[in-house]
Amino acid sequence: MEAVKKSKKKKANQFPYGIALLVLIVIIGIILSKQSPQLAVRWAFGIAFGFVLQKARFCFTASFRDPVLTGSTSLTRAVIVALMIATIGFAAIQYSAYLNGDTIPGNISPVGIHTAIGAAMFGIGMVIAGGCASGTLMRVGEGYMMQWLSLIFFIIGSLWGAKDFEWWTETFISKSPQVFLPDVFGWGIAFFGQLVLLGLIFIFVEWYEYKRFNTKNLSV
Amino acid sequence: MAEYRLDCLGEACPVPLLKTQKEMEKLKVGDVLIVEIDHSCAMKNVPEWARNMGYNVEIEEVDDGQWEVYIEKTK
Amino acid sequence: MKLQEHPFFKKIIKDAWSYWTGAILLAVLNVALFAFSGHPWGITTPFSYWGAWVFKALGGQPENWVYFQNPSHAKALEQNIFTNAGSIQNIGIILGALLATLLASQFKIKKIKSYKQVIAAVLGGLLMGYGARIAFGCNIGAYFSGIASMSLHGWVWAAFALIGAWIGSKLLVKYFM
Repeated sequence: MEAVKKSKKKKANQFPYGIALLVLIVIIGIILSKQSPQLAVRWAFGIAFGFVLQKARFCFTASFRDPVLTGSTSLTRAVIVALMIATIGFAAIQYSAYLNGDTIPGNISPVGIHTAIGAAMFGIGMVIAGGCASGTLMRVGEGYMMQWLSLIFFIIGSLWGAKDFEWWTETFISKSPQVFLPDVFGWGIAFFGQLVLLGLIFIFVEWYEYKRFNTKNLSV
Repeated sequence: MAEYRLDCLGEACPVPLLKTQKEMEKLKVGDVLIVEIDHSCAMKNVPEWARNMGYNVEIEEVDDGQWEVYIEKTK
Repeated sequence: MKLQEHPFFKKIIKDAWSYWTGAILLAVLNVALFAFSGHPWGITTPFSYWGAWVFKALGGQPENWVYFQNPSHAKALEQNIFTNAGSIQNIGIILGALLATLLASQFKIKKIKSYKQVIAAVLGGLLMGYGARIAFGCNIGAYFSGIASMSLHGWVWAAFALIGAWIGSKLLVKYFM
């Protein structure tokens, strides 16, 4: 294979620009911390999320799309691992709130027809646009003009959804319950049950990939 | 041993991988496909797929944010 | 540039990390964010604020919408991109990704290749924006943080996003490739 390779072109070194950006990021952080420490911390979280997403090329879209389209499940399995770790951490925070008699924190939202329709719309959109919310932001940073465009329309779509939220609230959301699984099954069964279920999905997905790669029919 | 080029510059995921899969089917054993990509995720998932298939793979960074993936069809 | 040839530099800054490394770090960050701010990670809600701020500047009145009667949304409407924590965090994601790309010397402006990409970006963006609003979240807020919060809506969301991804894949292969 060595023979077919072209000689390397001369590459620009962007590392110094990276250092300059890092300095800028720190300066903005300091300015924000004078305004409010909370904002500076959220800034730091954003930078960390973006950095990790890009370094690992982490793509939540691919966790749904690749099993369907290419048969690869490596990102699906990675997301399941992330879900398992986050479930443990989240449960600790939620359980301590429960013990204190506080309202249970977390992203617990009404579940109903709006969830199904919205999620399906999102699923279609993320595949054709080549990235979900996190993926779009990350690719905006990487310089993909297609994602700059999709971010603009993402924002327009969000505004549109916010405008129509009244109709969705009246028609579906107001009649839909918020279901926190430990309320239904108890803490033990909900927590360990979720971890076991995620584990089973992990094994299933691994088996699925094995099947896809060991049969000839690979293309769609 | 023939050598083919596949231009996937400017294509977003999963298009480079889908095109590569299609192209590799046409190749004979021993042929090499050079996939040109500038999508940072494809530079991970194209080689990963090819290795999963048991092909020989090498990645070369030819320019800033631009790669060539060499895939040799071994079977 | 000695530093850039150092094996450790190459491993951490230049080469891509494994998906598992990403998974572990993102999960830990999400738990830390939840512990710190009281809310798990989400991305799309600030997008509705960005849209509303622009709409307001153009003379619209989003404050009359039911959506902005919600106290936290109403509060955000009075803020701007420099004072709204979620917006700052999202801009952080963009710059964090840019930082990682520049340090690895892999930044390149990628132009739009065809009109198909334009249609895909416009349609995909609109579908994601609208869908995330009515379903209470995106891949992050509903899928990652929703399931980790042990909320049923996260699981239902994931099931239907998979169906959507399947439909999207068919459309992609047929019309956008």
